[in-house]
Amino acid sequence: MNKKLVNKEIMIAIKSAPLLSPSVYDIIRKIAEPDHSLADVVKIVKHDSALTARLLRVVNSAAFATLDPVNSVDRAISLLGERMVVGLAISESTGNLFHKPLEGYDGKKGDLWSHDLIVAYATRKIAGLAKINIDPELAFTGGLLHDIGKAIISDFLKGTAEELLQSIDKGHVDDYASAEKNFLGVNHQAVGYELAMNWNLPESIQQMILHHHSPAESDDEFKPYVYAVHLGDIISMMSGFGTGTDIMQYNLDQGYEEYFNLKFESIASVMLEIKDKCKRVIGVEDCM
Amino acid sequence: MSGTFLGIGDYAVSNEADSVLKTYLGSCVAVILLDPITRTVGMVHIALPDSSLDPSKKELLPGYFADSGIAVLFNKMKEYGFSEKSHKLIVKLVGGASVMSQCDVFNIGLRNVEAAKSILKSMGLHISSEDVGEKYSRSVAIEVDTGKVTVSSPGRGQWDI
Repeated sequence: MNKKLVNKEIMIAIKSAPLLSPSVYDIIRKIAEPDHSLADVVKIVKHDSALTARLLRVVNSAAFATLDPVNSVDRAISLLGERMVVGLAISESTGNLFHKPLEGYDGKKGDLWSHDLIVAYATRKIAGLAKINIDPELAFTGGLLHDIGKAIISDFLKGTAEELLQSIDKGHVDDYASAEKNFLGVNHQAVGYELAMNWNLPESIQQMILHHHSPAESDDEFKPYVYAVHLGDIISMMSGFGTGTDIMQYNLDQGYEEYFNLKFESIASVMLEIKDKCKRVIGVEDCM
Repeated sequence: MSGTFLGIGDYAVSNEADSVLKTYLGSCVAVILLDPITRTVGMVHIALPDSSLDPSKKELLPGYFADSGIAVLFNKMKEYGFSEKSHKLIVKLVGGASVMSQCDVFNIGLRNVEAAKSILKSMGLHISSEDVGEKYSRSVAIEVDTGKVTVSSPGRGQWDI
């Protein structure tokens, strides 16, 4: 394989990926600001009629059944919560990116989105267990976007699963990300990072995407967030929610202990959170 | 052939010849009980070793924990005609994968396997075959008609236990 040529093709795929709509971009930027309020998010949503319609459709669906129909954006967002708005906005504006089958990982349609949502909820729960103050909504958004590189790189990994797993089993590489890099010259975190830069996402989210399997390498300023996503990802995979062949093929970095005082009971509580959110909020039928 | 999928903490028992029970597992463990006389199959998808971690959850979702999950599955098998006096159940154990780390706190897979084995032993249930531990996730499917238990793992193929 000509890695240079493949890298060039991957860069073209990144440039060809759907761009975030202006309102989604604004919501993500706003959430990354430490002093933002729910009213700021409401204001942005109100200027996007397609997103407004989508939120009202979801909040009036069976999953969120209320006694009276919800007709206002303000009430819809207060019922759904900021994090659901972010999730729906990203899902709505990125076309098929989160929803296509990940053939390079033997992952079926919907696996990436389900995994990302579960990691987002797990990461948010973990943020609440930090020794220092972490914004749970920013952690949630980082969890939601952490694996976006797989949507691009998957097309270039078709038919490689067995070979990549063998390279880990035989000890040639440490984990699946290293196996990807060995094979293609680049891994899904780096591809996701390129896409995040292309989308002009906040640096905090770029760091969560780039370093979620190597949190020690992230900038000190963002380490608590990156470790939160790292742990959310690991615990989601332990609960059986991955994206295919790479599930549980990543190392746990124990550097998290500097930022999180996790005991067995706290990990169990994150797993219970995953169970709670699975069907009711995420709509994964296989969960219950 | 009809399939029943078990999510985390679910359990199911079936004696319908054309049905299959399925689940997928990371650090979770599936305890499988097969009754060769009544041709009944049961499975519980256990996520955590001990219901004292969240007693309120135990009431709502007994299958989530090894202690309450195995007990509820065993009782369900009795409802389907299993009798301790006449014969023994075939017991199989699958799952309990470990995280790629030496960190004990995260080794829930091992704890689940140990808890399940200890509880089964205390109930006098002997494990006839198992596929547990290692560092990879698994899917498991059981054919009720034949009692065949097939395990698969993404990118690693499938095998019977």
